[in-house]
Amino acid sequence: MFRPLSTMAIALSLMLPVQADARPLVLAIGGEPDGGFDPIMGWGHYGNPLFQSTLLRYDAGLNLIGDLAEDWILSEDGLVWQLRLRGDAMFSDGTPLTAEDVAFTYNTARAAGGLADLTVLKEARALDATTVELELTEPRITFVSRLATLGIVPAASYGSDYARYPVGSGPFKMVEWREGEQLVVEPNPHWHGGAIAFERVSFVFGSEEAGQALARTGTADLVAVPPSLADAAPSGMKVLHVDTVDNRGLAFPMVFRTGGTTAAGTPIGNDVTADRAIRVAINQALDREALVALALNGHGRPATGPADGLPWDNPEAAIPGNDPAAAMETLETGGWTDTDGDGIREKDGLRAAFQVLYPASDSTRQALALGASDQLREIGIDAQPSGSSWDEIGALMHSEVVVLGWGAHDPSEIFYLHHGDYAGVDYYNTGHYANPTVDAHLEAAEAAPSFDASLAEWKAAAWDGETGFSLKGDATWAWMVNLDHSYWVSDCLDLGPLQVHPHGHGFPITHDLPSWRWTCE
Amino acid sequence: MKAWLPALLAGRLIRLAWLLPLAAVGLFTLISLAPIDPVQAYVGGRTSQIGPEQRDAIAAAWGLDRPAVERFANWLGQLARGDLGQSITFNAPVMQVIAARLPASLALIGLAFVLSFVLGTALGLVAGATRGRWPDRVIRTIAVVMAASPGFWVAILLVAFFAVGLGWLPACCATPPGQLAAEVTLADRWRHMVLPVATLSVVGIAPLVLHTRQSLVAFLDSPAARHLSAHGATPLHLAFGPGLRHAAGVALTLHLAGAGELFGGSVLAEAVFAWPGLGQATVRAATGADAPLLMGIGLATLLFVFAGNLLADVAARLADPRLRGPA
Repeated sequence: MFRPLSTMAIALSLMLPVQADARPLVLAIGGEPDGGFDPIMGWGHYGNPLFQSTLLRYDAGLNLIGDLAEDWILSEDGLVWQLRLRGDAMFSDGTPLTAEDVAFTYNTARAAGGLADLTVLKEARALDATTVELELTEPRITFVSRLATLGIVPAASYGSDYARYPVGSGPFKMVEWREGEQLVVEPNPHWHGGAIAFERVSFVFGSEEAGQALARTGTADLVAVPPSLADAAPSGMKVLHVDTVDNRGLAFPMVFRTGGTTAAGTPIGNDVTADRAIRVAINQALDREALVALALNGHGRPATGPADGLPWDNPEAAIPGNDPAAAMETLETGGWTDTDGDGIREKDGLRAAFQVLYPASDSTRQALALGASDQLREIGIDAQPSGSSWDEIGALMHSEVVVLGWGAHDPSEIFYLHHGDYAGVDYYNTGHYANPTVDAHLEAAEAAPSFDASLAEWKAAAWDGETGFSLKGDATWAWMVNLDHSYWVSDCLDLGPLQVHPHGHGFPITHDLPSWRWTCE
Repeated sequence: MKAWLPALLAGRLIRLAWLLPLAAVGLFTLISLAPIDPVQAYVGGRTSQIGPEQRDAIAAAWGLDRPAVERFANWLGQLARGDLGQSITFNAPVMQVIAARLPASLALIGLAFVLSFVLGTALGLVAGATRGRWPDRVIRTIAVVMAASPGFWVAILLVAFFAVGLGWLPACCATPPGQLAAEVTLADRWRHMVLPVATLSVVGIAPLVLHTRQSLVAFLDSPAARHLSAHGATPLHLAFGPGLRHAAGVALTLHLAGAGELFGGSVLAEAVFAWPGLGQATVRAATGADAPLLMGIGLATLLFVFAGNLLADVAARLADPRLRGPA
């Protein structure tokens, strides 16, 4: 019954001409934007925006470099960005890109209510054909993340069908998007960034399993795979584990239970974790290497902060951990002793016990909660793992410990997680942490005259020698691991230097897609 | 001769007239009560990039900051103008989202429907005709195993065997990866349909086999069949001749009434095979609490199942004159 089919397949494959020079590339890495490719609604956040280009961009070391902008300055009061555009940028329809297009993009995105947060933008103005001014409502240095992610759309042709028929000044132009199935793009001949080694790039969407099957049948050149499967790469492909800041840690309630509740009526505070000795001891005791081995199959790195290895991370703030003796000493000094001999310490009649909540559907977080619980029992802390729904977690996260994960290419995350103004707001500062010195450092970072200047303040917020949110200071979190993101890559595909990847597995790997090379003949 | 038809249709139209509003209210109530925050679902993994002010802006832009009753009233108002609203998840009109995906799903469901009907009825008849002997036992065993097999598991087995192991058929998708729609040949399209259709057919075949077998057995035990048998008709002749007529009514009713299950099965099959149909969109809409799209898909499914049931009744009456009495 299948003989005619296989014969037909051979006949078909003979009919398709083999491309001699540039070759097509097939990627199965997910990342299909359901809402289409409209930067104004939020497309292009991570990875390569494909169709559009941005004013600035991050290089592999997460340093800011120019893309559409040739040079840029921030006014002394930190309120006005003035950028000078390159003169040779063109949209894929052949029309030139001007400062008017930039101003239009920023002003439209600010009002659109999409996934590009430009609430701090007051107004964007085109001064002449190649100079644009962006005025902010208050100094906010993390606005550079918008400069590096918001793709520019053409003011003349932007309309309601833009998301499905995008036109931009990026490295690729859309050939076809069959929703839920695949996106086919080809190099944009008008792109200002140079030659691309592939005549066509196809992104196959759909399930993870489908992507793996495509790899096994030799159809796909790059596939995102779960870490548990990664080591079994099919022939012709190698395994690639990318370092990330896709982290997981224990978020502590930082205040004592005084009967206060959130607006939704859920309790705030935990008398055990509000004691710094407990939080520091947990950080000292955790064997993060063991957690990586246990929960991630070895495919990860120990985490000591919310942004390990990124430019705004403070390596000084880290402590090694895996030191139960030091942890027990911290607890003894803090007054936590096991008076009734049950293996769990007490202080003034309060047991060193709390729940560790994790979403029951997430096996990695479950393994981390169970592993941490085992390790903490050895130093006399009863951390009770509890699988819950996100709903239940939302109700308990201000009064119990939760396994949460973050990891963005944007230091504003550091601000949201640790500033007192965000106490109890969404998932940000779940522990209601507030330290005026840390708040001041965070605010100073946002008000810094340049992104480079802000780095010192971000680091000082973690640990300035006396206080900070990090393990050496207030120990607001016990960070545990950074996940690796795993891929199968064709032996012939050279991806060049890679960034430390953010939270989100798959599409971010395309960040430098235009410079990928094919190394086989 | 078809005097029963207008009465049947009128009755069903009246039923539809109260069923649709009831379903709309029920659906909307369920969606509003679902413990998913549409804004959080929309923001998804970008929590750290979207500040609280922007969340409020998103809620305002999609009207999510209004009370549920007001949102329902707005939706009804749009519906009266023939507009199903705007899908949050897909940032496009609901009508456009459904229209873009329905054909792919219908192709899958339609083929699976025909295939499982033909196979299920034929196997059921063979099993009934060879009652107690080895073909019957083999067919019944297969049917029971199929009935107990979850669709997605069958799909994974089929992919592992035919696509990865033997390399005969594609593992996923509706067309070969890397090709434009214009470059895809008809033969390729058919090849890509084989495994998804086979998976989806499994859902429908098992109950058909067992019911058809049962109704044929009942017929073969009847005086009429014994009479024919005494005149020399073999069981297989009886099965595919007069027996078919007896069994077909039941089989058709069962199969058409089960069209809803086929729709549900297609959600799973589409997920495994990355089939670009309505099933995938349904999953996204549900996890994103995308009320307008869920309402649109829900009502479209309702009409689909309703039409299936109506067709079942018509077909059963055409096949079996005994049913044509007053409905």
